Amino acid sequence: MNIVVLVKQVPDTWSERRLRADDSTLDRDAADAVINELDDYAIEEGLRLQEAHGGEVTIVSMGPQKAADAIRKALSMGADKAVHVTDEALRGSDGLVTSAVLASVLGRTGFDLVILGSESTDARMGTLAAMLAERLGVPQMSFASKVETDGSKITIHRQADYGYDTVEGALPAVVSVVEKINEPRYPSFKGIMAAKKKPVETLSLADLGMDASQAGLAASATQVVSFANRPPRAAGTIVTDEGDGGAKAAEFLASRKFI
Amino acid sequence: MNFTETDEQVALRAAVADLGRKYGYAYFTRQARTGGRLTELWQEAGALGFIGVNLPAEYGGGGAGLYELSIVLEELAAAGCGLLMMVVSPAICGTILARFGTPEQKQRWLPKIASGSAIMAFGITEPDAGSNAHKLTTVATRDGDSWVLTGRKIYISGVDEAEAVLIVGRTADSKTGTLRPALFAVPTDAPGFSFQPLEMDVLMPEKQHLLFLDEVRLPADALVGEEGAALLQLFAGLNPERIMASAMAVGSARYALAKAVGYAKERTVWSVPIGAHQGLAHPLAQVKIELELARLMMQKAAVLYDAGDDMAAGEAANMAKYAAAEASIRVVDQAIQSLGGSSMTSEVGLAAMLANVRTTRIAPVSREMILNFVAQHSLGLPKSY
Repeated sequence: MNIVVLVKQVPDTWSERRLRADDSTLDRDAADAVINELDDYAIEEGLRLQEAHGGEVTIVSMGPQKAADAIRKALSMGADKAVHVTDEALRGSDGLVTSAVLASVLGRTGFDLVILGSESTDARMGTLAAMLAERLGVPQMSFASKVETDGSKITIHRQADYGYDTVEGALPAVVSVVEKINEPRYPSFKGIMAAKKKPVETLSLADLGMDASQAGLAASATQVVSFANRPPRAAGTIVTDEGDGGAKAAEFLASRKFI
Repeated sequence: MNFTETDEQVALRAAVADLGRKYGYAYFTRQARTGGRLTELWQEAGALGFIGVNLPAEYGGGGAGLYELSIVLEELAAAGCGLLMMVVSPAICGTILARFGTPEQKQRWLPKIASGSAIMAFGITEPDAGSNAHKLTTVATRDGDSWVLTGRKIYISGVDEAEAVLIVGRTADSKTGTLRPALFAVPTDAPGFSFQPLEMDVLMPEKQHLLFLDEVRLPADALVGEEGAALLQLFAGLNPERIMASAMAVGSARYALAKAVGYAKERTVWSVPIGAHQGLAHPLAQVKIELELARLMMQKAAVLYDAGDDMAAGEAANMAKYAAAEASIRVVDQAIQSLGGSSMTSEVGLAAMLANVRTTRIAPVSREMILNFVAQHSLGLPKSY
């Protein structure tokens, strides 16, 4: 089975993340870059399906030079090869542009199954799977907490508030996964050493037959118009329990619409 | 000179740190307080190839060096869950077996040590001789094809978890009658071999033991390396021990420093976080510098060792162990001062760490023995003993 896993490098969720003052795009220098957390689960699922059904796992990532680190991590977990799309003109691309670029890459690699995390921790749009499936003309199976396939048909548990739906579709397909799906492996030392020798194909927009005018912030349908920094955390309210502590706690939660 | 780690070393650091985060200091202290072991972490690290990263690939190891092994221990300790037996099993015993063992001995022990499926402890210290290899009273005598070992050992780590102990004993030269150090791989289930735990006031899951060897009969191939050259072989294993002890101290200090810095950034009295006050900021900056210097010497020692320069590695390993012990004691002390009263709670656990890092000034070799070494070998001063 030809499995492609999409990987994105994002700023570390635990560090302070910022947007750039000049064009409101992500400030990649402000925080450590790490692999998007949900992508670890996507890679793990790809590797498990490969172990069960054979074939190859290819990592595809679009991002700056530094994204090579995220690709290397994916390869050290056990993926076979990778495609890295990197081009200065891609900076600031939104979901629509990204999906067009990735669809073009997937046209080159071919695929039976595309797996990706259901969202990235930086943009948090969660729309890429749908856009890709539409562009590729294949079914989208989203929020999977379990994936089973016989090589031609695919069945997933689609995670929902009330439990899960069982959804069935035909391959090829695009599947987005949630963290409930598995426990990602750690790269082993052998995996780390082997990653060095695995092929990584680097592609520019021109290699994909795309023009710089079709990409980047200027070509994007969505843009950040303005933003404000999060206000500093205000001092909390201290409630003295005079026998009505429970009611006051409930009142507070209700005032914030938590209950 | 190159201070940039390779992509693979950086990736190893990240992978081990991830694994360490899964367990952390809470796991370490919980196991230590309930008499548990770090078995789950040890086995998972072994399966990932981290425990035997320094051992030859043909015997199931990672084929890398002591530098990589020190990365593994430093990162686990920095996550709060350093594995003491890494200092012993792959670093001392694995190194000695890989360098001086027969092909049969390597085949028997190295794959198990590398995968973590077996632990080999190391026994040198004796109640009367300390770790002075010339005064050891554990004696091995030849009896036909066998060796018969008799003696006592003290402060031997992890014997209860080990499949075997590499015992430093002495053999009698048949011509001169002089006793010369020799190394024996002694299975912990050998008849005549027994041990009992020592009650310690140090919060560590790994237990310390008294060993009793009462005419333990071993086959000829229990002798590791040559009878006459054992002292050299011993030192080949003790340099990695010192480097790994440094890595563990540096990692633990990183953990304590991160705790202190995190607290100093968050804790606000009046208008600013307490870390803005130089009374707390400067001492933390100072110990950070001392810690980085110790770490640098530890890395130098590992690089020299991996380059095959045992003499230079020996000097650097001693200096690294000295520096790492002193820095880690200072770091934990300052972390305690930064957190104030909460540092003494079991939940934070810094008080318990104080005894752990304080141990590194004594073991595996005392500060005074290192100063003797530097005085004599680095400075050429006259011997005192």
